[in-house]
This record gives sequence, C-alpha cells and structure tokens, in this order.
Amino acid sequence: MGRIVEYYRAGSIEDAVRTAQRLGPSAAYVGGGVELVLRRNPEISTLIDLSQCGLGEILEVQGGILIGSQVTLAAMSKSALLKHYAGGSLALWSGRIAQNNLRNMITVGGSIGRNQPWNDLVPHLIALGAEVRYFDGAEHQTPLVSYIGAKCARAVIESVVLPSVNRNARGFMWRFTRTQQDISVLHCSALIDTAGNRVAKANIVFAGRPGHAVLYPQLGQELVDRCSSHDAFEGLAKTAQQLVDVGADHRATAEYRRELVRAAIVSLGEWMTGDEQ
Amino acid sequence: MRISITVNGAQCALDVDPGDVLLDVLRGADYLEVKGTCHAGDCGACTVLVDGHPVASCLTLAARVDGHSVTTVRGIGDGTHPHPLQKAFVENGAAQCGYCIPGAIVSAKALLDENPEPTEDEVRLAMDANYCRCTGYEQQIEAVLDAAEQLRKEGHR
Repeated sequence: MGRIVEYYRAGSIEDAVRTAQRLGPSAAYVGGGVELVLRRNPEISTLIDLSQCGLGEILEVQGGILIGSQVTLAAMSKSALLKHYAGGSLALWSGRIAQNNLRNMITVGGSIGRNQPWNDLVPHLIALGAEVRYFDGAEHQTPLVSYIGAKCARAVIESVVLPSVNRNARGFMWRFTRTQQDISVLHCSALIDTAGNRVAKANIVFAGRPGHAVLYPQLGQELVDRCSSHDAFEGLAKTAQQLVDVGADHRATAEYRRELVRAAIVSLGEWMTGDEQ
Repeated sequence: MRISITVNGAQCALDVDPGDVLLDVLRGADYLEVKGTCHAGDCGACTVLVDGHPVASCLTLAARVDGHSVTTVRGIGDGTHPHPLQKAFVENGAAQCGYCIPGAIVSAKALLDENPEPTEDEVRLAMDANYCRCTGYEQQIEAVLDAAEQLRKEGHR
C-alpha cells in the first residue's frame, strides 16, 4: 500500500459502494486484507472495511448455499452445510489452502476480488458452478466465471451462491506445489455428477497455468455418458494435454505443466474409479 | 486514528495509522513477545490470536481488530505461571533458539481450545503456518500432543 490516510467502516453495502464510487481508484475494499498489505498499491489511500455489512454467514437458501463474502477459509472448512455439499470438497480444501493463520484471514470476497492466477479457491468455486451476488448500485447475480471476466472494480461482492447439486455429485481438487507452502504450479478442480455408473455432468477447471482459472466444457463433455473407467480417463488425459492452455514462468516450463495436466486427470480418474493412492 | 483492543485481557487504546499492521502496533506497545520475521505471512512467527483465532499479525490491519480481543503468548502463560503447553514445549525439547515459539504456542493453544483431543495430523495442520529452523518440528508436535493429554487429565484448558 501507499500512504493510507483513511480507514472507513462502511455501515452497509450501499454506503460502501457510494464511498468507493466517490473516491475512485484511490479506494479499496478490505476483505481479509492479506493481498492489500502484501501487494502495496501506491494509488490506494482509503480502505473501506466491509466487516459491518452483514456479509459473514453461510446459509442454506432456496436453490443452494449462500456464502457471505466476508466468510473466511477457516469458517468454510468448519461449516456443517459445506461438509455435506458435493462430497464436502469445498470444506475439505478450504482447510488446506494457504496456512492456518492465513485461513483465518482470507475471505471468499477477497479471493474473488483479487483473483490471483495461483488462487486455489476460485477454480474450485467455478467447478462447483458458483454464482456471485454483487452490488454496484443495483443488485446482480451472475456466474462466477462471467464475473471475473467482467472485472467489476467498484462493486461489492456480497456472496457466492452454490447451486443445489444431486446427492451423487462430488467435488474434486488436485494441485501441484513445489513445497507445501508454495503456490500452485498447476491446479485442477472438478465437479462430477454420476447417474448409476455413468457420468451425467462434469465441470473441469484448470488454474495456475500460470494464468487464471479456465473452465473447459469440452473436457467435461468428453466424460458425459461414459463409465468411470481407466480407458475414459486415459483418453481424457490426452485431450486435456492438447486443450489446456499452459505457459511457462519461473516455476515451471509449459512442457512440465503439460505433464502435470496429465497427472491431474490421472488423479481424477483414480479418484473416480476408487483407485486413489 | 484511535483503536480500542483488549490485549491479554487488558483494555488498550492505541493511536495507529490506518495502514499500520497489528505486529508493528503490538511491538510498539511493548508486546515484544510478538516476533516479526518475514513480514509476508509466510513464517508464522508473528501469529497472535484475534478472538481466539490465529492470524498473521504482520498482514493484519490494526484498524480491522478495533474492538476485538488479542492474545499473545504472554497472555497464555509466563515464566511464573506457565501454561501446560509451554511446559510441554520445554520438556519435549521443542524450543531451541525460541524465536518461532511464541507463534507456535498460540497456534497450538487455538487448536486445543477448539479440539482438546487432536490427532497428530490435526496438530500438523493446525501448525502448518509455523516455521521452525531448529527443532525439525517433531518435538513440537509431540509437545502439543503431550499438552493435550495433560490438559485432559487436569480437566481444563
């Protein structure tokens, strides 16, 4: 951050948006504050605190589960509602992302608002089919994947809504990191819904490519109506290696990441067929 | 701006800049047991409890904890009245240079408050934020498990 001269506690989301619109790029919303403090933006001189805007709950709502934008990773990992949602994948992984003292700080809204390429929460939410409720003077609800593309800088993210899923739907997450504490060199998330022993629906997302999270509908489509067999995932791994857009950075070459794409799909297959190590 | 926080049970009114982080504010107020190392949320040395939850004080905006309760390792126990966790760290050889220990102890305290009977995996996960370059971690894990057992025997936290 540059020199912060004001810390404003918004009393409501309307108040927060009004203040942000008045101040323009010199204002930033505070989620957990982690990224704000780490990546000091000299343009920012006012912080707008959303902690008194009533955005800190996880609730069952018609059509799914609503997660307030101020909910932390730690709170999600302990949520009984999330432990019973899609096999409990979001609760499980929220308790594994980053590290313990940061899991008590990192919020859902902050993760989406900042959306760093290495973020492990956003790709999993995309795989689960999450939608974002946000306020920019009017109420909106849109798929998370569209929200991220639109970059609504002055909007307040109110909540994430996870759609109702079938009892057989299960979330999957796989990531490769160089050390336990390092960011993902590659991340793969999925939601697989089965009917009998066949795949009824599959959302497959890759992130840390090193770019942002991308949903690959073609990969999901390739699994639909197929049995969960090694052959199906062997074929999917080949397709994924051609389809997933990977690049190079100081963590890994593109060639290395393509091998990780294969490893991710193999892991998905082992998880689906019950051969997980 | 002025913030009001409770530190180790004592009410404090502190003048802070809106961009100040809790680590600097606490050390400036002579809570020198809170250690700063990486200032990037990586090492866990600066961990304190805010309303009972461990946070990295180097990345926590002081303004954000206005009205909340902060616990440092001194609030858990001291040389005169050590907490069973602190005793277990000594007895298990879990402290060598000691720099990371204030953060490790508060992380362990938060775990045992919430889960008095943790498994080894749960201890490892709860302390995954706390780097230690001396002990190799095993003694710390054993210390937390020993302290948990001791606390259960004593029937308190």
